[in-house]
Amino acid sequence: MVRMLNIFAIVALITSAIYAYTIKYETIFHAETIVKLQHQIKGEQDKIGMLRAEWAHLTRPERVQALADRFLDLQTIALSQIVSTESLPGKAPRVDAIGRKLEALGFAEPANTLSNSSVVDPAASATPAR
Amino acid sequence: MNDHLNTDFETAPNNVPMVPAGRRPGIVKKLFSGLSAAKPDKSVFRIRLAAWIFLAVYGVIAARLIDFGLRLDPPQSVKHAAADAVAAARPDLLDRNGEILATDVKVMSVFAEPRRIIDKDEAVELLTAVLPGVDARDLRERLGSRKGFVWVKRAITPKQQLEVYRLGLPGVGFLAENKRVYPNGPIAAHVLGFASLDGIGISGLEKYIDGQGLAELHGAGFNLTPQNLKPITTSLDLKATYAVRDELAKGIAKFRAKAGAAAVLDVNTGEIVAMASLPDYDPNTPADALDPDHINRLSVGVYEMGSTFKAISVAMALDLGKVTLRSRIDARDSLRYGRFTIHDYHATHRMLSVPEVFTYSSNIGAARMALMAGVEAHKAFLRKMGQLSRLRTELPESAEPLVPRNWGELNTMTIAFGQGLNVAPLQAMMAVGALANGGFLVTPTFLKRSEEDGKSNAPRVIKPETSESMRYLMRLNAEIGTARIADIQGYFVGGKTGTADKIIHGHYAKDRVFTTFMAIMPSDKPKYLYLTLLDEPQGLPEDGGYHTAAHNAGLVTGKIIERTGPLLGLPPRPDTPVQPFPLLAKLGYGEANQPAKGGGGH
Repeated sequence: MVRMLNIFAIVALITSAIYAYTIKYETIFHAETIVKLQHQIKGEQDKIGMLRAEWAHLTRPERVQALADRFLDLQTIALSQIVSTESLPGKAPRVDAIGRKLEALGFAEPANTLSNSSVVDPAASATPAR
Repeated sequence: MNDHLNTDFETAPNNVPMVPAGRRPGIVKKLFSGLSAAKPDKSVFRIRLAAWIFLAVYGVIAARLIDFGLRLDPPQSVKHAAADAVAAARPDLLDRNGEILATDVKVMSVFAEPRRIIDKDEAVELLTAVLPGVDARDLRERLGSRKGFVWVKRAITPKQQLEVYRLGLPGVGFLAENKRVYPNGPIAAHVLGFASLDGIGISGLEKYIDGQGLAELHGAGFNLTPQNLKPITTSLDLKATYAVRDELAKGIAKFRAKAGAAAVLDVNTGEIVAMASLPDYDPNTPADALDPDHINRLSVGVYEMGSTFKAISVAMALDLGKVTLRSRIDARDSLRYGRFTIHDYHATHRMLSVPEVFTYSSNIGAARMALMAGVEAHKAFLRKMGQLSRLRTELPESAEPLVPRNWGELNTMTIAFGQGLNVAPLQAMMAVGALANGGFLVTPTFLKRSEEDGKSNAPRVIKPETSESMRYLMRLNAEIGTARIADIQGYFVGGKTGTADKIIHGHYAKDRVFTTFMAIMPSDKPKYLYLTLLDEPQGLPEDGGYHTAAHNAGLVTGKIIERTGPLLGLPPRPDTPVQPFPLLAKLGYGEANQPAKGGGGH
């Protein structure tokens, strides 16, 4: 009985030792990962800072205007081109342009349909237009 | 049990062999007797000897410690030395819309530890071969010093870093540093100022933020990175600033002026929304900033503001109740004072109403109005308007106004039309801003701020009615007066020109002028005050050779308004406002709300 207890104790000791070491090494591993990631984050942040500076440098108004003058066929905006939303013309009523065109061509009524087709649907009336 | 144990105990010693025990006590006794007894002189000597030896040893240790403490040795570890040498991180400077005006980038710098370099001449030779900007003799000298840490070159490119790395020199290494960059070049250079290579603000806002505690934080050893520093939002609008600078540069080129400056002030918050002073410099090459020609003409230069000062004089006379808008001022003849005579540029030789004094820009009228108030009241009013003391903003560079020492009646007369008192243009803007915004003297700022913050500790300097009268007069001047050139359709602009003859060798020179133009927009509810000043603009043949402010500074201001108005969130209004001056209408000046016509050629 005592011997069994001893063996059990030894086994428990070894397992707990192994477990403790595993945890320890995992902790070290994670700590290293954290440090590595922190370095990476810092590097990325530095890069972001660099890119932001570069972006600001490349989109500075001086350069954009020079490029626009050279490559774009645009004029300087005149104050008369700025209008309020109220002064814009109202929305035109919805017009079924295709329907009107069909009407003008005389396809408003399903013409020359097959005698056996009892149902008149828009698709059928549109077919002759093709 | 007890008995048994006792017997055991008693019997045990008997079993132990007693043979060595018989001799041992003898030796011990002998030893101890030798120590304790007899020959006292010899033992004292020994004790003293031991004491002296210990004292000597401790003395050497103490001396060495003092030696270490006293010797000014550069820190041994590179990391420690580098912490002092590496440029400190600075917060980003942003414009009011979040665009970057100044930021830090990480760069690599090469350093050397002279003590660890074996062959210094070879190191110099190799390093100068890959780093072209380094002076060989200077580097040799620095490597020869007894320092533990010297910079070889700051801010190198990744390619150069690789080349230096490949040299494989012992005692040469790299450190990441913060480098201050200004992506927009010279735009807003005077506001931003610049920082040194070590990350210390030298001028402008850069110096200001150091004064706000940043330098102390660095000094206390806080590890500040750009990420944990809050960016500072300035009042500037990058695009508007660019537009202002661009139009000003065009104006300077067109009128062949020596220099110029322009600014846009939000009259309600006191924010400088845009400003430029030409010639300027690129803060990325800070050595140019030291050129005295590159000063910020808006805050460091002091000038006679010319007729723009008449706005202040008229406002004073109105505010003190000396005149009303209907009063008539005698401008029939030139004004004599002692041996001095004051003439009008646009001479009318008749009685002028107050609005006419303003629109004809009558020197005589302005001088008479100031005399009505009197010398002391005039002085007090100008002091209240902040014209007699140095204006302090966030920018460390500022100038004291040049105030006449003995201020007599003649001084009051000339200062009334802008001669004899030199102020910084920014200062004059502050005063005219107060005339326009309803009467609050809001101190200009270069940092973003709300209207409540701006007006919270701004003193009221004139009555709201006076402010509205001034807006009306400025609007009238843009309708029929000298400021017509800047009357941009849709913005209800009001303005005042100013042309001051420059003093050359103590005399006013007729051919060299300093022209200013101030414009408010929109006049009924002012938001922005524009200022343009040109130093020695030349008349153009198509203007008939005139070099007065209306032809040059006014034109430039008009262009700036046209371009920056939409950028600054003010769309042009298709029609003129109805009843723009309600207070004046209530006071019985209904005609102020009718658009004025004609006005002839003045």
